[in-house]
Amino acid sequence: MPEVQMTEAEFEVYLAKARELSLFFREIGPKYDVDNTFAYPSIKAFKDSGLGALPVPKEFGGPGGSILHTSKIISELSKGDSAITLAYNMHFIMVGITMGLMSETQNKYWLGRVADGEIMFGPFSEQRAGFSGLADMKAVPQSEGGWRLYGKKTWGTLCEAADIITTNATITDADGNLPEDFQERVNAESFFIADFNVDEDGQGDGIRIEKTWDALGMHSTGTHVIHFDGLFVPEDGFICEWRSGAFGVLEWASLMFASIYLGMQYRVLEESRAVLSKKTLGATFGAIVAQDTKVATVGHIIDGIGDMASRVELSRRVLYQTCQDLIDGKDDEWPLELRFPYIGLAKTFIAENVMNMTRHAMSMVGGSSFRRGTIFERLYRDSAASMFQPLNSDQSRTYIGEVLLAPEQLND
Amino acid sequence: MSVFKDAEEVYAFIGGMFEKAVQEPSFIEATKNTGLVVLVTQTDPDATMLVDFPGQKVLVGDAAANATPTVQLRMSSDNSNKFWQGHLNFTLAMAQRKVKLDGKRSVALKLLPLTQPLFDTYKQVLRDAGRDDLLV
Repeated sequence: MPEVQMTEAEFEVYLAKARELSLFFREIGPKYDVDNTFAYPSIKAFKDSGLGALPVPKEFGGPGGSILHTSKIISELSKGDSAITLAYNMHFIMVGITMGLMSETQNKYWLGRVADGEIMFGPFSEQRAGFSGLADMKAVPQSEGGWRLYGKKTWGTLCEAADIITTNATITDADGNLPEDFQERVNAESFFIADFNVDEDGQGDGIRIEKTWDALGMHSTGTHVIHFDGLFVPEDGFICEWRSGAFGVLEWASLMFASIYLGMQYRVLEESRAVLSKKTLGATFGAIVAQDTKVATVGHIIDGIGDMASRVELSRRVLYQTCQDLIDGKDDEWPLELRFPYIGLAKTFIAENVMNMTRHAMSMVGGSSFRRGTIFERLYRDSAASMFQPLNSDQSRTYIGEVLLAPEQLND
Repeated sequence: MSVFKDAEEVYAFIGGMFEKAVQEPSFIEATKNTGLVVLVTQTDPDATMLVDFPGQKVLVGDAAANATPTVQLRMSSDNSNKFWQGHLNFTLAMAQRKVKLDGKRSVALKLLPLTQPLFDTYKQVLRDAGRDDLLV
């Protein structure tokens, strides 16, 4: 984990910018949820805010924010609109991952561009097996050096705003054949970085966006399919072997996703309080029989808000302490094989809590929350996305259980 | 059946590679202040080596087993022969439980970049001993 270079006073400036940008996201979010498109006005606003440079170390032109600083900024933005923020979250994830894996020269060049305001994204998942699948996408070596990439990535979040692409592909022989041997295939799966130049229709030289995104929630992330039709990556665009590199830095994915859903938890609590503290049912004859029922005095509503606030506070502590543990090097004490799933516990814990909260909020607010366009139905739909980003709860438990049940002897 | 006849062969070749490494100026420079003391435990045949990079010494057998390492590396002797020639993907082998790495992550991760330069050293040790049959 890079050293923390940013002071808390410096961070306050970035947090103020995040609060301002969050308000803008909150304002435009409903329109792009309904339109089911990327929130295009967010691009200029995000770039103008300078927040994209936050985690870039000072030696590469950024302010040197830590993973905890970045987490707090993402949660602040997510409080405004989780879907728009989930798009920009991709940028922070890829900046965090690449800066831990790139050479000094690569960091100077690519992170320098990020410090100047450029946006990075990284499509990795493929149709066959998502993030865990070894890349079917091919990197075919070229006689003049470098590679051409051929294949398709199905989760290209933020593609409509990005200037830089990172991705994984398997290096083939000169004829484009993938290695047949499993270990050779693992060895050949590689991590690349390149310019991402597409026109307003999403067409570029050897790369294009196919606008396919249509999902239950998170409408404005612009998570389209990316087609690689021979995108050229020069030799200096090779970062490292993908699997061996990635497992050391995946906290940037896991904890940034957790930050999105913590921000969403803040919003769920805020909106629930706003409605339930004022709502009056008048005369009721049902579960509650009273001449004038004020919702805020009903026992299960009081408990429900208390439960929500408790979940928010627990989630905040779990996330921030996990970030701090990494900064302090306390992950040194964890078994090596369990480091990644242990870090992922923050995300899975928060994901389960935010889904509980959005469902509970609708239950407490009542049927009006089910109508299309209300904040509660949107949060409910958007929170469902938390089931999927790696590691999800099932994957985490499998990882941990397998390690704990493994026999002492090795497999040979 | 293992490619190594007995522990003495393991100590002669893999241990021999470590003996060269701990005296190599670039390794001495790369490992000073790292606290990198690696206990390599192999099976079939059973063999134990302690590589004290900062202390520039290699212990084998009981002497190694009784020392205090900061990192422990376990694998079969056959896999060790492949690994030190660069023919075993470490991440994959860890995931498949062919290799077990224990110790503090911050110290253990210092070992991995050091392995690559050792591949040529190991192969040269085998060639010098006329043991081309062990080359993978």
